[in-house]
Amino acid sequence: MAGPSWNYVLKFIITGDAGVGKSSLLVRLTDQRFLANPDPTLGVEFGSKLITIPEEDNKVVKLQCWDTAGTESFRSITRSYYRGAAGCLLVYDVTSRPSFEHARTWLADVRTHADPHLTCILVGNKSDLSLERRQVSTEEGERWAQEEGLLFVEASAKSGDNVEAAFEKAARDILIKIRRGVFDDDRSPGVKSSNPAGAITLDQRKATGQTCCGS
Amino acid sequence: MEFFQQTYTALRGPTGVQQTPEDTITRLSDRLSPSTLLADRRAAVLSLKGLARAHKQLVGVHALQGLLGIIQNDADVDPDIGRAAIETVVILCDTVDDSYTERDLGLEHTDKLLEDEKTAHKLFALLGDQDHFLRYSACVLLITVLQNRPQRVQAYFLKAPVGPAPVIAVLEGEKEIVGQAIAMLTALIRQSTEIQKILAFDGIFEKLFSVVTREGGLEGQSVVTDALKCVDTLLRFNTSNQSYFRETNLPTLLCRLLFFDPNIQPDQVVPQEFALQFWNEDKATNAGLILEAIGLLLGPKGAGLREGYTFTRLLVEMALASNAPTTVKVKCLRLLPPAAVALLPDMILTPYMPVPDTNGEEWDRLEAATGIDALLELIMHGEYNGQDAVRRQKESVDLRATAVGVFEHFLRDDHVKEAIISGLLPPEDAGIPAHSPVTPLLFGLIIPPNSLLDRSSVSSVQFAAVLFAHLLRHAPYCKDLARKIIPRPLTLLPSSTADGAFFVPADGEPPPPSEPPSKDDSEDAPQNLLAVLTEHLSLAFLQRSRAELAPRDAREADRVICAYLSLLAQWLWEDPRAVREFLEAGGLGVLVEQLNQPSEIDVVVPGLCAFLLGVCYEFNREPGEVTRVTMHSILTRLGADVLVGRMNRMREDERIKVVGPDSWVLPCPTPGPQALDPAFTPMYDGETEIWFDWAFVDFWKANNHTIQRGIVADPDSASSSTAQSGEESILVASLRGVIAKQAAEIEALQNKLKELTATSLATAETAASEASQSAAKSTEERVTLEAALEAERSKRTEVEKEQEDLLVLLDELSSKRAKDKERMKEQGMEVSEDEDDEEEDGEEED
Repeated sequence: MAGPSWNYVLKFIITGDAGVGKSSLLVRLTDQRFLANPDPTLGVEFGSKLITIPEEDNKVVKLQCWDTAGTESFRSITRSYYRGAAGCLLVYDVTSRPSFEHARTWLADVRTHADPHLTCILVGNKSDLSLERRQVSTEEGERWAQEEGLLFVEASAKSGDNVEAAFEKAARDILIKIRRGVFDDDRSPGVKSSNPAGAITLDQRKATGQTCCGS
Repeated sequence: MEFFQQTYTALRGPTGVQQTPEDTITRLSDRLSPSTLLADRRAAVLSLKGLARAHKQLVGVHALQGLLGIIQNDADVDPDIGRAAIETVVILCDTVDDSYTERDLGLEHTDKLLEDEKTAHKLFALLGDQDHFLRYSACVLLITVLQNRPQRVQAYFLKAPVGPAPVIAVLEGEKEIVGQAIAMLTALIRQSTEIQKILAFDGIFEKLFSVVTREGGLEGQSVVTDALKCVDTLLRFNTSNQSYFRETNLPTLLCRLLFFDPNIQPDQVVPQEFALQFWNEDKATNAGLILEAIGLLLGPKGAGLREGYTFTRLLVEMALASNAPTTVKVKCLRLLPPAAVALLPDMILTPYMPVPDTNGEEWDRLEAATGIDALLELIMHGEYNGQDAVRRQKESVDLRATAVGVFEHFLRDDHVKEAIISGLLPPEDAGIPAHSPVTPLLFGLIIPPNSLLDRSSVSSVQFAAVLFAHLLRHAPYCKDLARKIIPRPLTLLPSSTADGAFFVPADGEPPPPSEPPSKDDSEDAPQNLLAVLTEHLSLAFLQRSRAELAPRDAREADRVICAYLSLLAQWLWEDPRAVREFLEAGGLGVLVEQLNQPSEIDVVVPGLCAFLLGVCYEFNREPGEVTRVTMHSILTRLGADVLVGRMNRMREDERIKVVGPDSWVLPCPTPGPQALDPAFTPMYDGETEIWFDWAFVDFWKANNHTIQRGIVADPDSASSSTAQSGEESILVASLRGVIAKQAAEIEALQNKLKELTATSLATAETAASEASQSAAKSTEERVTLEAALEAERSKRTEVEKEQEDLLVLLDELSSKRAKDKERMKEQGMEVSEDEDDEEEDGEEED
């Protein structure tokens, strides 16, 4: 039980329509496996992963991801998570136009409830499926993301393609924001540094076990 | 003053008219409307607050709506009026009341408050208000409505525009409010996984633990306990929160709160700071909650976790080598995951003993021992080497019984059982008579019954019998080995061994005997353990039958008899050779004598005797002195129906009936229809007793029927137990497992074979084609080479021919020259024998 081996903890949420593969993306990220037939997620499940961002001094970031329920009836709950998150994966299914169109309302939700500095990345999932089944082209997704000022990537939880990249891209963006001082220590519940200034000190002795790598 | 005047006027109304409470309340309620001045409104609220308790219904009907309006609109502006309004509503919604009507009123008012989400949302927002008292009263009102209508409030909470932040932030407040905040959170998270998760997301764990540390750690009082209970609720049925919790550094904090170093290495000794702590009741409760959390995080698998080793070590150290209260130790052992038990033999502990008469203030440090030795020591002698074993208090017997459960996990692997039994065998090279090493377990088994009036020895015999039965049950190989155990007669034992030095069962290292066996001993043939037990059973019966035996001592003797009988029944089951030895050692006589003159009051001992006799008859399949025919005639004489009746009556006894997998420590005397002896009273207050463990009761229930059928069977009939005996079914199950495994293996191999054949075919093909290709290529090459060779050859012949021609020419020339020379000589010219010739030749020719 050594001290933390990370520089930052970033809270992420994954949101989007039911069935677009949110749970699968999370399982792919944390367990490197594909969830073939997941139950519709009831509520929110949790997973975490350490990633290194070479572009930002090889900082180690612990991603804590909450997988939200896409089902409409849980939507009010999901909103509560936006407030505390530093990053958001807004997921749609490239073989389902409705899921892409609903992304607008999800984004509106995020914009209403989340921290204004939240980093949002639009993820077109199921990119492994054949071109005939595709209903949303890469260009279209990219265009919309650009209009809305979102990051964008197409990924596949099944093949694992671009999944880690999506999280990395978002994490990198957040680190850049941190470096620019966008988040001040107390005001960003989704970001925690390994040498927290205003954080609670549970035990004085604990501090010695920690690495101090804050920027 | 103004306030009193106003109130008075309001109460009095127009001069001279008789006032009813309704008039007054209506008038006050009218003043709540926003059109009234704030000061007047405030006065009205305070008056209503005074009336609310006495006139709950009237105030509810007339004023509740107005009060809710004030909470909604005025609380932000004027904390005082907000607070007064909230406090009034608390009284109106209160359901903690004796009368039903009042309680129903409280619910009615709560329903009105919760008609829409506005008030609830406002209250959640007010938790973040600047004003301390306002925050406090909002918290109290939320607790009240949460108690009345939890689901509705929870649903509103999830939609609250302020989100969970203020709810968590109240935990940072002053001491008084923190207590209320925890009570409110406890009500809010009850049975709502979603709220538990969202609060975890927003950092409630960290806040709760900072309350714990702020309030003095585990020695803190009820606030700490409530905070830890809240943590328990957040974790218990919430896997998502459990995995989140593991991710944080809070598991480390759990260790530190117990003064345990979270980075401990296997080769490090745990410091005294952890082993010897100050304990009081609060701390024991709080530590128990921390341990529960550790148990939850460890889960059934446990050891695989990052902090698995640390947590396991903590639990083991606290249970076996600390001064923690016994109840805490029981919890530690109970929470130890079965898989983690494998670590026990490699853990080195240093147990402590309280120095007598120091009131737990001074402690002796004992020699280091492995975890498994310390565990066995605990089972056999009790906590602190049996200091309080005679009292048989609930927690100390519980601790030993729980330790038996841990030991049972340790025995899951058959090889471990074999190793332990082998460790009890006499050393092979020691010659005859060689005796088994005396280990605490064996020592416990062979304590002779004449010394059994000692209460702690009785407990040791009981626990030893239970442990030994665990080693033998359904383990034919272990039973074979056990028959070779030759215990040393106890009179020869050096007394120091009896005090129970630790022993290593798995390594089988015997404590060196400090006295050579005396010469008297060698005259008797050494008895094996089975014979010793048979003899002790007989002695115990003899002891029991003494007329002057006090009721307490009679019960002690009964306990020992039951321990022997239950162990023997499990040993002789499906072991014809053991049956033969038991019968030849006189076991038959002992049982028959008891069954001939059974006790009138007790049903358990006669029932067990009948059962054991039945087991002997059923498995008496080896040729020997006592045949099945002989036994059959005895059974007929005793009456098979009578025996079956005795076995059935035993089923009714509480000592069998109430035993469950985790509960075999019973209050003494065990309540039930059959009181053993009316004159019996326990020696100590709160004394407990044990009779049978669950494993035996389970065994007995499963096989009782088989034996009842077997007793009436003909002596020539084959064993009827073959159909459904435990041993067989285990064997069948394991064989099935083997077959399934083999089938899977075969399939895998076949697949592999197919694959290999396929690949080898492919390789063969490619090889063939390559070969043909290369053959074609080589032929081609050969042709070209041959052609080249031919060309070369013809060239060579040409050259040879040319050379020949040249030689011929040279020959001709030289012959011509010789002729010329001769001619020149003839003409008298000087002719050299050398090259000059040629010049001359040349000259000549010119």
